[in-house]
Amino acid sequence: MNRFRCSACWLLTVLAVLLVAIPAAMAHESRPAYLEIQETAPGQYTLLWRTPMMAGRRLPVVLRVPDGIRGLREPVVQSLSDSILERRWIDAGPQGLAGKRIEFPGLQFTITDALVRVELLDGRTMQMIARPSQPWVEIAASQPWWQVMGTYTVEGVRHILFGADHLLFVLGLLLLVKDGWMLVKTITAFTIAHSITLAIATFGYASAPALPLNAAIALSILFLGPEIVRSWRGETSFTIRHPWVVAFAFGLLHGFGFATALTDAGLPRGDLPLALLSFNIGVEIGQLAFVALILALARSFQVLEIHWPRWVQVLPGYTVGALGAFWTLQRVALLVGALR
Amino acid sequence: MKTRLPLRSALAVALMATLWAQTAGAHLLKGEASGFLTGFLHPISGADHMLAMIAVGLWGAQLGAPALWVLPVAFPLVMAMGGVLGLLGVPIPGVEYGIAASAVMLGAAVAFELRPPIVVAGVLVGFFAIFHGHAHGTERPPGQSALLYSMGFVIATGCLHALGIGIGAVHRWSWGQKLLRASGAMVAAGGVFFLWRAAA
Amino acid sequence: MRTARSAGTRAFVALAVALSCGPARAHLNSTGMGPIYDGLTHFLMSPEDLVPALALALLAGLRGAAYGRRALFTLPAAWLLGILCGLAVTTTSTTTLGPAIWFLVLGGLVLADAKLSLRAMTTLAVLLGLVHGYFNGTGMGLSAPSIIAALGLAAAVFVLVVLVAALVVTLRAHWARIAVRVGGSWIAASGLLMLGWSIRGS
Repeated sequence: MNRFRCSACWLLTVLAVLLVAIPAAMAHESRPAYLEIQETAPGQYTLLWRTPMMAGRRLPVVLRVPDGIRGLREPVVQSLSDSILERRWIDAGPQGLAGKRIEFPGLQFTITDALVRVELLDGRTMQMIARPSQPWVEIAASQPWWQVMGTYTVEGVRHILFGADHLLFVLGLLLLVKDGWMLVKTITAFTIAHSITLAIATFGYASAPALPLNAAIALSILFLGPEIVRSWRGETSFTIRHPWVVAFAFGLLHGFGFATALTDAGLPRGDLPLALLSFNIGVEIGQLAFVALILALARSFQVLEIHWPRWVQVLPGYTVGALGAFWTLQRVALLVGALR
Repeated sequence: MKTRLPLRSALAVALMATLWAQTAGAHLLKGEASGFLTGFLHPISGADHMLAMIAVGLWGAQLGAPALWVLPVAFPLVMAMGGVLGLLGVPIPGVEYGIAASAVMLGAAVAFELRPPIVVAGVLVGFFAIFHGHAHGTERPPGQSALLYSMGFVIATGCLHALGIGIGAVHRWSWGQKLLRASGAMVAAGGVFFLWRAAA
Repeated sequence: MRTARSAGTRAFVALAVALSCGPARAHLNSTGMGPIYDGLTHFLMSPEDLVPALALALLAGLRGAAYGRRALFTLPAAWLLGILCGLAVTTTSTTTLGPAIWFLVLGGLVLADAKLSLRAMTTLAVLLGLVHGYFNGTGMGLSAPSIIAALGLAAAVFVLVVLVAALVVTLRAHWARIAVRVGGSWIAASGLLMLGWSIRGS
């Protein structure tokens, strides 16, 4: 067993080296420099500055931070095979780096760009590029409202499309509903419910601990599995007759999940209601797009007169049930592990 | 001419919005996306080209089916052929005159409501399409994606035809027919102006 | 729980790596949302792949439901097979000649509303899938995420063909079918222009 694992490791390492080395060998002569700025405490930042080595010589670009900034610790410089890595810890005072300019003297004599990524405590992340024609970047003081809105809407869409658990729950609901009106009611109920808890949790009136919450969300998916099977068999139940009630009840849970994601994405200090609204709009856009896609696919299969074999027809239902069960077990195990 | 600026800026804004949305996730495609924008804005930026395109749509609307769709289908293809000729370095004499003359001819055809057989109309439009493709299809700034430039160019041309056909929908009313003939005369007058400018 | 911020970080780092590795890696953009989405967005963001697949779906849709059904299964399957064949190859080719010819052929067939036999269309679909899949696969690198990305890409092809073919099948009005054929003419014209560019480029 151990030997097998060892040789697998070797194989993977060789593969990884090949994968990295082959394109690098064909690389273009102008690799960019890279600067990452991360705010660790108000006004305090860690800097990661990488300058590429070319033909054994360091790219003649220097990093110049604005005046009036003091180092918290001695910088650490590390030589890698293809680049030099420098870490700095700085204190920029109460104002922070907002509105300040970071310069790259020497960049104008190269054909290279410097990529800059800034991560601030208020949740904003910025990506900028300094070019030979403009060897500096400016850290924006604050974002205008439409930019906040754009950022959080995209974040919302991203979250719902990436969150397989939410999508699976919506898919389960879609498999249960019978007609258009019921669909509208169910999706609206889900939307209203998760908007309520999302708002409550974001403003800090209530919160749900992550581990039980995740287990409960998984349970909500698992719950739909048997109901779907029941509806196939022509049986009925409260859920099958009134899926919107279930959607509302479990929607309250999912809203807490969205709130976790929103908090993780970082909240702006000033524009909390706006960020919340845009995030929710993003979530709805993603959710409606998913519902529309599923309905369009179902309709298209009908138009193309595709007669799926039985096992394909039941596949979505069983996927909902099986993944729900799997996640429930996994997350309950995590919860139990944390409690012990 | 009056409609040109608002139309252009509206199209540009719509395009910027779409492109912004599309490129938001893919930084690497920026240069390529600008290729699409260049290609798309290219036919719209030349008034002579634009007039002729709209006139094709207007004429198609006047003639009705099957010319209604034969002309807009034939035009992009033959125009692309003209573009290929230009790219291969085959010289076509008097391209500027050809384009201006196409505006005059097509405008006159709309103004007089000429009804030649469909083959004649197709050949006429195709003949002028070669000039348009030769002059405009080859002006791609270096470094931009040829694919997206070509697509943008063809799509913009097609949209101009569609605009012409859309305007031409007023043909069903008698006042609309007069309006169409008047606008055809204006296109022809514009063509004469460009012809004069090309000669001067 | 994976945070969105770390996804963004990963995307940017991947971008930096991609840039620093030069054009060979520029092929598969990382969206920071996992390989499935990488494959999916790669297809949706590459017009040289998207448009021929679209043209084939239009063609199949014009011919009816049976053709649509056939295209729907053969094209993604061939595409996936093509990618898997290409994964082992590390060189990439960026010629526009191939896509230009596909644009021209498929666009022309849509424009002509060609009465292809089912077998001919299947052959076209298999060829298109294999060739484009192969070129997608080269440069992705042979790794587990690449294979998952390949699945995501094939799924995107499947969804596109299903939706477009079904939409075209439902078009009964004369003018609507004409509009589809005009679309074909645009695709063919773009292909023709591109052909000119690639001949001049070489």
